[in-house]
Order: sequence, then structure tokens, then C-alpha cells
Amino acid sequence: MSAKREIIQPKNFNLNVSKNFSLPHSPGVRAGDFLFLSGMVSIDPDTGERAMGTVASETRHILSNMRHMLESAGSSMDKVVKVNVLLYDMLEFDNMNRVYREFFPVDPPARTTCGVQLAGGLKVEIECIALA
Amino acid sequence: MLEKTVIPAPALGLDFAKIFGHHQSPSIRAGNLIFVSGMVAVDPETGERQQGTVTAECHRIFKNLKLVLEAAGSSLASIVQIRACIYDRIEYDVLNQVYAQYLVKEPPARTVWSVKIETGFKVQLDVIATVT
Repeated sequence: MSAKREIIQPKNFNLNVSKNFSLPHSPGVRAGDFLFLSGMVSIDPDTGERAMGTVASETRHILSNMRHMLESAGSSMDKVVKVNVLLYDMLEFDNMNRVYREFFPVDPPARTTCGVQLAGGLKVEIECIALA
Repeated sequence: MLEKTVIPAPALGLDFAKIFGHHQSPSIRAGNLIFVSGMVAVDPETGERQQGTVTAECHRIFKNLKLVLEAAGSSLASIVQIRACIYDRIEYDVLNQVYAQYLVKEPPARTVWSVKIETGFKVQLDVIATVT
């Protein structure tokens, strides 16, 4: 049995960070029944520019863009099974968590959160695995 | 179409949503895969954080993971991928020593990240396993 591998892209071209910033990755890849999304940072969906802000505002941008990504691929937020959150400072955990819970009201995904150094002065990066 | 099922924590202390207010499920089953939230060294009964040496935290984490995986119909031997987060790369060998005691034969694919972990923990293990 061999599962299909297929690149997935957001319908809103502004959110195709891979293309717009010439990065050597795809926005997401479908492998069989699973979608693997690249780490997403805060992007303004109207302009495609990086939207630096507070941890709360960046988390909100990212998760609302993640919803768009998943829906573009025929999936949805309630099909997300695993999330990795990368924060520039673990002291901001609660600020992320507060916004995060709005996007996953019931049965939230399994999650891991780490404190790391992020590129470009951004404070949050989020990646996920979802069911197709 | 695959279903997503939340696996309840096998003990109160391993339910980080209840204990710490983290907005996440202990583990999620999707198809034949189990996605476990990042595991840290806590007392499985009370949720009390047990920060210690890398060795001590590692032992505690593997014991906790065993409980979580078995509750999900899986086991330590069925882990396919681990992301091992440690607070300092200098402890790499210390991690490996304990790690090898729990994952003896055909160890899972692994990545080690040197990152900041919540509340001063030194180790966090992020696991994907198959159903046994």
C-alpha cells in the first residue's frame, strides 16, 4: 500500500509564505490521511507582510491563518491532532494559551510548547498535523 | 475518513489541562497513530512538578509516558518518533543513558532540540506512537 503525497496551498496567495519569502519548503504536505503544515508565523492576510506584535496578536493571526490553510486543503481546525508551539520566551506561555483556547473550543489537539529563538523578530511560530 | 479521538489521561496528574490549565488533550488517536502532548516530569497522581536532574526527570517522564501510551492501547515499544527537548545540549549524553534503558531494541526515530521548557524543567519528550 502506498499513500499519496501532495503539496497543499492556501487559497489566499498572501499566506503562501513559502513562495512569497522564497523559502525552500511547502505551506503543507498531504501524506495519506494526514496533513503536515510548515511552521506558521504571524502574517497579515491582507498584505502578506509579517505582522509583528504581542504574543496574543501573533497567536491570533497565526491560528486564523492556520484555519484558512486547513480549510483550503479540505480539512478544519477540529481535525488537528497535534500542535507544536514555539515561543520566544516561556514567560509568555499564558498569553499564548489564552488566545489559543479560543480556536480549539472542544477536544483540543495534543500539544507541545517550547521556548526558542525565532527568526525576524517574531514571537510565535506554530506547526500542526491534522487529519485530511 | 479517519476519526480523531481524545484519549483521557490515565491519572489526574497527567491531565495538564486540568492541573495546569494548558489547553490541550493528553493524547489523541487518529487512525492507528497516537499523538501525545509534550510530557514533563510530574507526579502522575497529584500533578506535582518534579524538577530534578536530567536523569531523574527522564525516568519520571518515561514512566508517565508508559501510563499514557498504555491507556491509549499503545506502549513504549510502539513509539515511532520522539522529539526530545533538553534545556542544554551539554546534557545530551545524560539523556541518552536513561533513554537507552527504556527504548532498548529498534529505538524510534528521534530529534533532539535544545530549548527552553516550561517552569524550569530540563527535559520534555514529545511522542508519536502506533497502536499496538
